[in-house]
Amino acid sequence: MTDLVIAHLYPYEMNIYGDTGNVIALRRRLEWRGLEARVDPVPAGTPYDFGGADLVFGGGGQDRSQLRVAEDLQQRAAALREAVAGGTVFLTICGTYQLFGRRFLTQEGREIPGIGVFAMETVGGRRRMIGNIIVATPWGDLVGFENHSGRTLLDPGQKSLGKVKKGYGNNETRREEGAVTDNCFGTYLHGSLLPKNPSFADELLRRALQHRHGQAVSLEPLDDRLEHLAARAAARRP
Amino acid sequence: VLRLVLATAVGRLAGRLSRLLGRGGSAVPGLVAEKLDPRTIERLSAPIRRGVIVVTGTNGKTTTTKMLVGILEGEGWRVVTNPTGSNLARGIATRLLEVASWRGRVDADVAVFEADEAAVRNLARRLQPKVIVVTNLARDQLDRYGELATTAAHAAEAVRHAGVAVLNADDPLVADLASGAPAVRFFGAAEGIRRSMPHDSGLYGPGEEGAPSALDLSLERAEPEGDGQTIELVSASGERAAVPLQVPGAYNGYNAAAAVLAAVQCGVPFARAVVALEEIRPAFGRGQVVEHRGRRIKLLLVKNPAGFNQAIRLLAALPSGATVLIAINDLDADGRDVSWLWDARVEDLAGSGHCFGTAGIRALDMALRLKYAGLEAWSETDFPAALRRFVDGTPAGETGYLVPTYTAMLRFLDLLLPGTSRREAWS
Repeated sequence: MTDLVIAHLYPYEMNIYGDTGNVIALRRRLEWRGLEARVDPVPAGTPYDFGGADLVFGGGGQDRSQLRVAEDLQQRAAALREAVAGGTVFLTICGTYQLFGRRFLTQEGREIPGIGVFAMETVGGRRRMIGNIIVATPWGDLVGFENHSGRTLLDPGQKSLGKVKKGYGNNETRREEGAVTDNCFGTYLHGSLLPKNPSFADELLRRALQHRHGQAVSLEPLDDRLEHLAARAAARRP
Repeated sequence: VLRLVLATAVGRLAGRLSRLLGRGGSAVPGLVAEKLDPRTIERLSAPIRRGVIVVTGTNGKTTTTKMLVGILEGEGWRVVTNPTGSNLARGIATRLLEVASWRGRVDADVAVFEADEAAVRNLARRLQPKVIVVTNLARDQLDRYGELATTAAHAAEAVRHAGVAVLNADDPLVADLASGAPAVRFFGAAEGIRRSMPHDSGLYGPGEEGAPSALDLSLERAEPEGDGQTIELVSASGERAAVPLQVPGAYNGYNAAAAVLAAVQCGVPFARAVVALEEIRPAFGRGQVVEHRGRRIKLLLVKNPAGFNQAIRLLAALPSGATVLIAINDLDADGRDVSWLWDARVEDLAGSGHCFGTAGIRALDMALRLKYAGLEAWSETDFPAALRRFVDGTPAGETGYLVPTYTAMLRFLDLLLPGTSRREAWS
């Protein structure tokens, strides 16, 4: 029996930096609790009803894929905004995160429209922001690896995911990283993000299960010692 | 000429000084000579009688280069080649300086140079190779190489400068390079092998298949045997040969096909090229076997998801119960981002019955990757301790499989064969 439906946005187009690891982590952490997830791949050009999904994931991509995906995303903009408003859980990373803002201005001055879930804009820059990053969030410190040339600027009032303790985050100056609107999360953190940040992974799962069942759900605790040790080791790296 | 003579002399002197100071055989001579004469590479390589061959691509450069050198030396030719790792301009300049006379003359029949994917564009322009070989193109250390499209664009620029491009027909990104090359020869494999070797776009989904190209050389069979395998190669004109190789894995069958096809472009008869292949020993860390405390340690270097998948396929095919140590470092030469571990099909090892350990700076990341694939592993970040535990866990007389990233491999080889990594490492 399916306990949770995960929609994987653009799995064949947006898949650099191990973002698939997030889907592996979500699925496994459910399995270890005797729950089963169904993962629906949603490639560009394929119709999909987001009303049936509890958790939507989208990863980072190379520039060329991001352009292709941006057009497809426009076709789904209304459906995705409706799902966000309805409390569906979203995790968007890097390229998909950028396209969930209002727009992305490339280094060459080209404008790629986003779907405006997050009140923010991203501007392409020359220097890439690369390295291990630590972000303080309400769900503990998140550890990951960032690699992006886009600088994201949140509007006043747009909530960020957290404060940068090490690394760059959305841009070099503001020391803030990611964005949160309702149950929709955006971040630059690869790593993969969720395996080394199990508390955050479980937070997403709890919210998604609650969205499905309409009531608060508690998750059995797991032995996450290895996860925490790996996160601590990563946090010490440049 | 005077300038070249001066550059040669000073460059070589700098190399000797650097070695005296204990900095090993670095790329210092090439760096210094290129400062004095920025056309050092052009001038030193131009008189090489049968020209220059350049080998590039994401995986398999070193093995293909080694095979090609072996085949050409088998012809009795004097071959110049760069040691593994020294595949940037300064490394190639250094190698040319080492073999040049004091007047700056290189006495060689042919040169075979492995070129880094990011440097190949510039190197091909300067070397004007007679033949360029492109093994494959896959995503690799994105913090270092950037996007795959950029790497492909560099390769496309490079093939324009070659007389003939020897291309992998089964990798769509490589096959696409044909349109820009003055002449093209294709190598590839029979369908069964091709399907077991997904190219980059096939790593994550259904993949993009181009129209199949007519092959000039085809890998028809690749079956494991001993430490290596037996492959069967068939040329377009119908020549056929079964060849025992000392290196394992279908991917090395591709490398052998590339080397033979490139050698044929230089005038080596197919029949002699394949015979020479048998003698070629594995390159540094690429299927190399080291005896240690009564065990055989087989090294399988991994650098990116495509290469890791090849190692995984090889490990999954072994009889149950093998000992495997995966060692992941995150220094610049390895790629600082270890996210790629999550792109490899580690799940294919579930049910293998092997015993896993993890080592290196990011040992815990690898242990976590294995955990989420349903596999348990011990972890040890200290290299000597990890090696001890791995060897203790491998029964005497048996083979243990060591799967390291580049700098982790250097650390282990220093322990297994003291002094090796200094010779192989690059500055």
